[in-house]
Amino acid sequence: MTAIAFDHPDLATRLDGCSGDELDQLDFGVIGFGPDTEVHRYNTFESQAAGLSAQRVIGEPLFTNVAPCMNNFMVAQRFEDTLAEHGVLDETIDYVLTLRMRPVKVRLRLLASAASTTRYVLVQRQLR
Amino acid sequence: MAELSAEYEALIQFLYLAPVGLVQLAADGEIALMNPISAQLLMPHSRNGGLDNLFVALEEVAPDLRGLCQRYEAGSGKICDGLHVHLNAGDGKRVPQILSLTLLKLDAHRIMAVINDITEQVRRECRQRQHDAWLNAVLTGITDYALASLDAQGRLCEWNPSIGRVTGFGPEAEGQPYTMFYPLDAITPEHALDRLREADADGWALDESRLLRLDGSAFWGSVMIAPLPEVERDTDGLACGDGAAYCLILRDVSDKRDIAERRRREAYSDHLTGLANRRALFEAAAQELERSRAAPRPTAMIVIDADHFKAVNDRYGHPGGDAVLQHLAAILRASVREVDVVARIGGEEFAVLLPSTDLSQALALAGSLCARVAQDATSFDGLAIACTISAGVAVAIDGAGGVDLLLRQADQALYTAKRNGRNRAESAHQEPDRAGARTQEDSNAA
Repeated sequence: MTAIAFDHPDLATRLDGCSGDELDQLDFGVIGFGPDTEVHRYNTFESQAAGLSAQRVIGEPLFTNVAPCMNNFMVAQRFEDTLAEHGVLDETIDYVLTLRMRPVKVRLRLLASAASTTRYVLVQRQLR
Repeated sequence: MAELSAEYEALIQFLYLAPVGLVQLAADGEIALMNPISAQLLMPHSRNGGLDNLFVALEEVAPDLRGLCQRYEAGSGKICDGLHVHLNAGDGKRVPQILSLTLLKLDAHRIMAVINDITEQVRRECRQRQHDAWLNAVLTGITDYALASLDAQGRLCEWNPSIGRVTGFGPEAEGQPYTMFYPLDAITPEHALDRLREADADGWALDESRLLRLDGSAFWGSVMIAPLPEVERDTDGLACGDGAAYCLILRDVSDKRDIAERRRREAYSDHLTGLANRRALFEAAAQELERSRAAPRPTAMIVIDADHFKAVNDRYGHPGGDAVLQHLAAILRASVREVDVVARIGGEEFAVLLPSTDLSQALALAGSLCARVAQDATSFDGLAIACTISAGVAVAIDGAGGVDLLLRQADQALYTAKRNGRNRAESAHQEPDRAGARTQEDSNAA
């Protein structure tokens, strides 16, 4: 399979088809979570950037126990609205994550659709 | 080694999940370390998509932060403890409205910040204070009060000696609206009716403000209005007919006013100018819009920004800039009615809330404010500092939209005024005859 890029169109479908090992090969962070916000996919890139191993994160609710920095109207609310409207979300926003407590500029791509039970936050580090 | 890295990971996670914002910054505000809750609370206010500097991130909502840290002279210690930072009016949405900020200076180079969303907590305390005020009004000071009955329109049904004792008014007060006890311009007829409606809805309406006796002397009065039972009511549940519909209890609480006023001033006013602060404006505007949904009327907002203010600071230093802001504040305060709310909402940004005011009235006022400021330089250190302002005007009809929307519209109009050459007022709404009120025209006409 060809390398998957952060800004690839129709990315959610491609990620759904990836194995865990394949996600681990990507050069951006992947967090996949269900309708209940429980994290069930967490790739190596994200794990190393955050300094958290996957087993500390898998099964935890994303916005309260894994990435509270995203629990506002810019990220979490967008997912909730999409879920409520049975709509499609594919937006890329500039954001700041606090990886190991250092503020890091990133681009977040938010993916959700009624067609899939997995929703994604993708994290790409921005070059300073 | 494995044990150490597991401990490190646990520590990292502990900080990730701490339900309070923690930031370490340099003396100039540059952020060195921060945890996720900080980013959650601060990101919505970042103008450039980044969080490099705490002072910059909060500049719009807490303009004085940098100065506060600079003025703190001790080598280490608490710079501020639980400072309230007012973000927005919320407009019914569940978004953080008030942050509490504590700054601890560690040494010349490092400051620790603790940031907390206290929106709900403040709301609870506010309800508690209202409850206390009610009990206070009912249970204390019952030795001296005026008791009067009002008709459905808020007019005094009959005079009695208690009215004379507290206010000095004689039997001629009969038939007058109860607004007669207030200074001119301190209450609109619409507000007077609002209180009657609130009394109908809640069982009572309580208000404390400056009142006047017949001889013109002022006192701090507590006014409670309660509906009388078994009064004739129309289909909306409002009192009608000519007889007594409400009871009004008026007390002189001047002696207790000092404490209440000081507490109010601390929480609701801007330190530099003495004007209302963002919180006071948000609360007053939210209340006015809510009331004007029930009793339809327009509400205007003027947002004002000092032109080229950075140049003033650069040339005359911050004390000169502060003098200009205080001078502007004085002009604004002197140019509006007592019922209007003048607030400082940013570094050099002000807002005026105008109840029961339509677009053309507000635009005319904004134009004349520009003219007055342009003609009246600030005296500072033997110098005259000339400064102009630009103003944006927006109006909410019958409370439609919300405070944040109204401010945003006025802000956009302000932007138009800046783009069109400054020292002028523009409105957010298209008017066929009058796109903008140029101050020159206004001052010529005057």
